[in-house]
Amino acid sequence: MNKTFTQKAVTPLVLSMVLALSACSSTPVTTSTLDQARSDYTAAQNSSVAQYAPNEFKAATEALNAANTAASNREDLTKIDQLASLAKTKIATAQEVARTKQAEANLASSAQEREKIRLQARTAEAEAARRNAEQAQRDAEAAKAQAEQATAATRDAQAQASALAAQLAELKAKQTERGMVVTLGDVLFNTDQAVLTSSGMATVQKLANILRDNPDRTVLVEGFTDSTGSTAHNLELSQRRAEAVRAALAQMGIERSRVDTRGYGEAYPVASNNSAGDRQLNRRVEIVLSEAGKPIQARR
Amino acid sequence: MSPRLTLPAVAATVVSALLLSACASQKAPATADVAVSQAAVESAAQAGAAELAPAELTSAREKFARANQALKERDYKLASELATQAQAEAKLAQSKATSAKATSAADAVQENIRVLREELDRANSANK
Repeated sequence: MNKTFTQKAVTPLVLSMVLALSACSSTPVTTSTLDQARSDYTAAQNSSVAQYAPNEFKAATEALNAANTAASNREDLTKIDQLASLAKTKIATAQEVARTKQAEANLASSAQEREKIRLQARTAEAEAARRNAEQAQRDAEAAKAQAEQATAATRDAQAQASALAAQLAELKAKQTERGMVVTLGDVLFNTDQAVLTSSGMATVQKLANILRDNPDRTVLVEGFTDSTGSTAHNLELSQRRAEAVRAALAQMGIERSRVDTRGYGEAYPVASNNSAGDRQLNRRVEIVLSEAGKPIQARR
Repeated sequence: MSPRLTLPAVAATVVSALLLSACASQKAPATADVAVSQAAVESAAQAGAAELAPAELTSAREKFARANQALKERDYKLASELATQAQAEAKLAQSKATSAKATSAADAVQENIRVLREELDRANSANK
C-alpha cells in the first residue's frame, strides 16, 4: 500500500526532471554525417581493418574522436559535419588499404596454389605417359607371345603331319580320293580264318598308334574275299576279318566308335580270280583313314 | 634520415615547422596545407584514380581548387579546412585505385587457377 503510493508519486517527478534536463540541451549532440561515420567505424572495427591497416585506422580513430568531441562540446553544426565527413573519408581510406593488403595476401597464396596445381598437372602427365608406355609394352609382349604361340602351333601341326606321313609310309598306305588306304593282305590272316597272325597284329598296332596320335581321325575297315566258295560264306568271312581288325584295335585302346566295319565278300576284286596268286590279292582287308575331322565317303 | 625527400615529406616538414610558429601568422600554414593537398591529388592521379576512383578524385580536385581560391581571397581558415579535406579525399582516391588493382590481380590469378584445375581434371579423367 505504502509502496504503490510512493511509485505513483515519484514517476511524474522523474518525468518532469528528464523533460527539464532535455529542455536545457536545445543543441543536438549529433548529425546524420556523424551517425554515418560512427556506423562505418563500427563496421571497420568488426572487420580486420585495424589488423591490415593499423596506421590508417589510427588516423580514422583520431578523426572520429575529434568529431565526437566537437559534438559533445556542442560546437557549430557545420563544424561537426565537417569533422565527421573527414572521419568518414579516413575510415574509407583505412578500409581500402586493408582491402589492398587482403588482396595482396590472397595473391601470394594463390600464386603458391597455382604452382602446386602446375606441379600436379606435370605429375599427372608423367603418370599418364608412364601408363601409356607400360600398356604399349604389355601389348607388344602379348603380341609377341601370341606370335610365338602361333609359331609353336604351326610347328606342332607340321611335326604331327610329318610324323603321320612317316607312319603311313611305313604301312605302305596309298592316297585315294576317299583318304589314305592301308591294305592288309591275306598273309596277315590264317587261311580261311579271321584270326590275325603276329605280323598282322604288328601292322594293326602301327595303325592303332596313328589313331592314338590323331584323335580327330576315324577308320573304315573293309573286308574282301576271292570268288571261291559261296557268296554267303564269303560275305560272312570278309565281315569277320574286318571285325577282327576292329577287335584288335579296341584291344590296343582305340574306341570302337572310331572304327566302322563292312564286309563286301567277293565284290570289288583287285585281280582276276583266275590264278592262285590273283585270288590271294583279292583276299584282303582295306583300312580307309579319314581326313582330320571328316567322315569317310562310302565306296561307289 | 634519408636524403631523398619527396614533395609530401617536404611539405609535412614545412607544416610542422610552421605549426610551432602558428600563432605568429595564419597565412603560412594555410599555404602549406594547400601545397600538401596538391601533392596528394597528383599522387592519386598517378596511381590511376581517374579511372579507378573518379568520384573521389573529382571531389578532391574540386576541394583543392576551392582551397586555392580561399587562399587568394586570404580566407586562411577556410583554405586550411578545404586543403585538409582535399588531402583526405585524394588519399582515399589513391587507396581505392590501389586496392582495385590488387583485387583485380588477385581475381586474375584465382581465375587462372580455376582454369588450370579444370584442365587438370579433364586431363585426369581422359587418362583414366
